[in-house]
Amino acid sequence: MKLSPSFNRSLWVFHVNSGSCNGCDIEIVAALCPRYDPERFGIKLVGSPRHADVLLVTGPVTHQMRDRVKRVYEQMAAPKVVMCVGTCGQSGGVFYDSYNLDGPIDQVIPVDVYVPGCAPRPEAIIYGVVQAIAKLERLEKEVSS
Amino acid sequence: MIKLPSVPMVLRQLLKKPATNFFPAKNLPPTITGFLESVAAGKATIHPPIPTPVKYRGKILYDRNTCIGCKMCIRVCPANAIEFIPETKRIRIWVTQCVFCSQCNDICPKDCLHMSSDFLLATEDRFNENLIVE
Repeated sequence: MKLSPSFNRSLWVFHVNSGSCNGCDIEIVAALCPRYDPERFGIKLVGSPRHADVLLVTGPVTHQMRDRVKRVYEQMAAPKVVMCVGTCGQSGGVFYDSYNLDGPIDQVIPVDVYVPGCAPRPEAIIYGVVQAIAKLERLEKEVSS
Repeated sequence: MIKLPSVPMVLRQLLKKPATNFFPAKNLPPTITGFLESVAAGKATIHPPIPTPVKYRGKILYDRNTCIGCKMCIRVCPANAIEFIPETKRIRIWVTQCVFCSQCNDICPKDCLHMSSDFLLATEDRFNENLIVE
């Protein structure tokens, strides 16, 4: 599959909260403010998964959110990246033995980039986006060669 | 002539620097992989992030030579991020499970756990050896 050249120029992000404590969500909003200004890279938050290239998932996936996260992931158009922000989504964090968890995010949907931190600093999230673009470029090279 | 209050404001704005911290680079480079290669070669530089505050709790540091294997950090860890290795009587810390609460640093009787200011930890593999401290 050939990616359109505009795909790597500006990534639109859709944010899903799958049971997070709101700490990572606040850091994502802080990363979009003029202090860090990722809009100079074309990164912006959109309101619909159908418009988005990147899915930002925060929080451990609770039992109620499992099907919703899956549905949002399936609604996104084909070349897509999933970023997992925060410790909860990678291992469960402080909720590791909760009765209500359906495992970390990678047991529900495939994850491309992990951003550890509780909550991660805005620069750590931007560094995760850099890793995601680097992964996309590597995949594109493999597909074209 | 009516005095315009906005004129000195506009002049001050012209001299001001933008508040934005251009963290990796000012604009998106043509290719990120090419940019990272030129950084490794020393041709380009990454704009440094905003300095962390004092006592910032980043990735954990472990001094395995002063550790006595008392397991106090394992009892106090709220996220079950520390694992005991019985063969060597030392601990292994999973950074992807750590919540950076620094309670293990406070309880350690030998003062062998510390918090660094390292926070750029994003990876594609969560079992990366950068994210396992032992």
